Amino acid sequence: MIKKLSAVLLAGALTFSLTACGGSSDSVDKETPAKGDKKVIKILHWKQDNINKAVEEINKKFEEKYPEYKVEYTTTGPDDEFKQAQRARITANDVDVLADLSGMRLSPQEWTPGAKVPDWQQWIDTGLIADLSGQAFIKNYNANDIEKAGTYNDKVYAVPTGKVAMSGLFYNKEIFEQNGLSVPKTWSEFIKLNDALKAKGITPIVVAGKDVWPLKLPVFALQAKILGGGDQQKWIEGVWKGETAYNDDEAVEVLDKMKTIQDNYMIDGFMGIDYATAPSYFATGKAAMLADGSWDAPTVAAANPELKFGYFPLPATEDAAKNASFVGKYDVTWYAAEKGPNKEGALKWLEFFSEPENYTTFVKAAGFIPTQDNIQTESDFIDNELTPYLGDFELAYEIMMINRQNIGEHLAAEGVHTEFLAPGGLYKTAKELADIQQKEWEAAAPK
Amino acid sequence: MYPFGKGFNRFIPLLLLLIPMALYIVFYFGPSILTVIYSFTDVKNLPGSTYQFVGLDNYKDLFFSGNSGERWRSIINTLIFMFVVTIVQNGVALFIAVIINQRLKGDYFYRAVFFLPVVLGVAVVALIWGMMFDPLNGPVNRLYDVLFGYQDMFFGSFTHAFGYIIFVQIWMYMGYSMLIFLAGLQSVPKDLYEAGHIDGTSKWQSFRHITFPLIAPSFTVNMLLSIIGAMSTFDIILATTDGRFNTRTMAYDVYKETFRGSLEMGLPSALSVIQFLIILLFVVVAVRQTRKREVEY
Repeated sequence: MIKKLSAVLLAGALTFSLTACGGSSDSVDKETPAKGDKKVIKILHWKQDNINKAVEEINKKFEEKYPEYKVEYTTTGPDDEFKQAQRARITANDVDVLADLSGMRLSPQEWTPGAKVPDWQQWIDTGLIADLSGQAFIKNYNANDIEKAGTYNDKVYAVPTGKVAMSGLFYNKEIFEQNGLSVPKTWSEFIKLNDALKAKGITPIVVAGKDVWPLKLPVFALQAKILGGGDQQKWIEGVWKGETAYNDDEAVEVLDKMKTIQDNYMIDGFMGIDYATAPSYFATGKAAMLADGSWDAPTVAAANPELKFGYFPLPATEDAAKNASFVGKYDVTWYAAEKGPNKEGALKWLEFFSEPENYTTFVKAAGFIPTQDNIQTESDFIDNELTPYLGDFELAYEIMMINRQNIGEHLAAEGVHTEFLAPGGLYKTAKELADIQQKEWEAAAPK
Repeated sequence: MYPFGKGFNRFIPLLLLLIPMALYIVFYFGPSILTVIYSFTDVKNLPGSTYQFVGLDNYKDLFFSGNSGERWRSIINTLIFMFVVTIVQNGVALFIAVIINQRLKGDYFYRAVFFLPVVLGVAVVALIWGMMFDPLNGPVNRLYDVLFGYQDMFFGSFTHAFGYIIFVQIWMYMGYSMLIFLAGLQSVPKDLYEAGHIDGTSKWQSFRHITFPLIAPSFTVNMLLSIIGAMSTFDIILATTDGRFNTRTMAYDVYKETFRGSLEMGLPSALSVIQFLIILLFVVVAVRQTRKREVEY
């Protein structure tokens, strides 16, 4: 009986699976002609509402102008999830245009033996990225920006679409005015400002400590202005050559100043605030300042359209002139895949994107500082808050630092990780953390 | 006499078995062996790139380089995680299973409630506990404040985050262990208890000498599942702290190195091999110990 029953079941299962197969192949046959003869261009990007909408708008116009193409625009979660998708798609030759999270980070130099080679460089070296040097649309961009963020071995491989400031603090203009406070120009003015706010019972600063990386942003200001006496590049070279160190006076000063801010002026429980909610604390007046990148200005504005806010560089030193410029990076940077299914389409799309009219749509929505000249962003925030401090725009430590392989966690991901400082972290003083960092740096030296 | 027929027919079952066998080799066994081989090479996640055998370099990198302290901590964390989860989860599960097995009123309801977290899935569980443990507005911190006048950072605390993750893991899978114990408990013949009762056993004695030996097979299964499960957990860590605040385990490191680290595949392969060896060691010891206790009356 059991044998019979199982035979019937088995036969049933087989028939079912066979019919299932038949069904699916039928539907494939029907679907193929419906797609028509359009050539698909596959674009990979991360989720960021304001930017996604602008790109979708550009895609629509592109398809109208070139009806022979169809744009397949895929977005994933940001940061690590995106990096994972990037790697999978580029190595499977399943993408035509892909975004990167910043302009080209520095690649190893002759003074960095055994350093980590960034992904983009390995992709170019293995022939996965298209050479854009001869393309006319590259000329639409500022030559200096292309040189800094899109060029490798004298060839252009990437299009940096805009710059962002990372080292600033958003501030609530109303709170500042009501209390007779002004934008601080030096470190001691900054401390006075914070004390004045505290004395009136106002929380000075909110930051998304739970995500940890936002703590890096104010540190970028401190690093750029303090390390190497304001010459960060020199300090980084020095640390490789053994001339400077993670526990030298300047590096300790960076950690110490951040510790002062964390211990005294951050909102209680900032290590529990995540990146998505931090702007709402600021926008609803729960804190007078927000440590965040300039790209988040649209989010702040959306959280409270009535709010009057500004943005100023964190003054890291007592030298007002030195403090008066932003530290940042190039944001969304496009690459075209050399071996993707539709390289010709990728170049066509990049050309269309780079037309000043379309580029303006993009850069306005993104809130970036344009990398094309003569673009009218019509943004008060960019014109009045960012532009005055763009004179000596410098790249952040995160972009300039060339890390050692297998570096310890206190220096990993090109940061100095002030979350490890007490009270949240385990190290009581800046010097303690600095000593650990130097030890880890030396331990990671190539043998 | 000839269940599979004669002549060629005899080989049909073997031929049919080849299909799942081939699938198993291609998708499971093959990649596992490749992982071991890759752990001795400098293979990269780049198409067409060549690779060379580098001997034990990847293993040396794991334990004798700048970040080897973190590797050791991951191993220690993994062991703590495994011991605490296995002991507490099975202890609580057995306790609750015994209570539910007393033919309580509404036992189906309790069973469903305790099993519910298993069905929810990691993302939902992480979201729920993320809100419960919100240090600024969460209910648990209010409770702490009222009861002990104390506030915690929960998943943002270097000293406590790992403990909270262990708690969430146990909360999530306790119902699963409970169900297995319950199945074991229900298969114990009632007459044994009656016989024991006539001989004058106390409640503890009948649990110790009748129930426990007879549910030993469920115990073995639960032990194995929780050891393997706990040692290969990375999802709940990823969803709650993302490995920050000293909450990394070996499984999390494997995930991170493979998908988010550099393009190197040799190092994560070596890490996987070590993780496999540690799990194997504990599973073998656990099976030997628990099998000894299994009896049949």
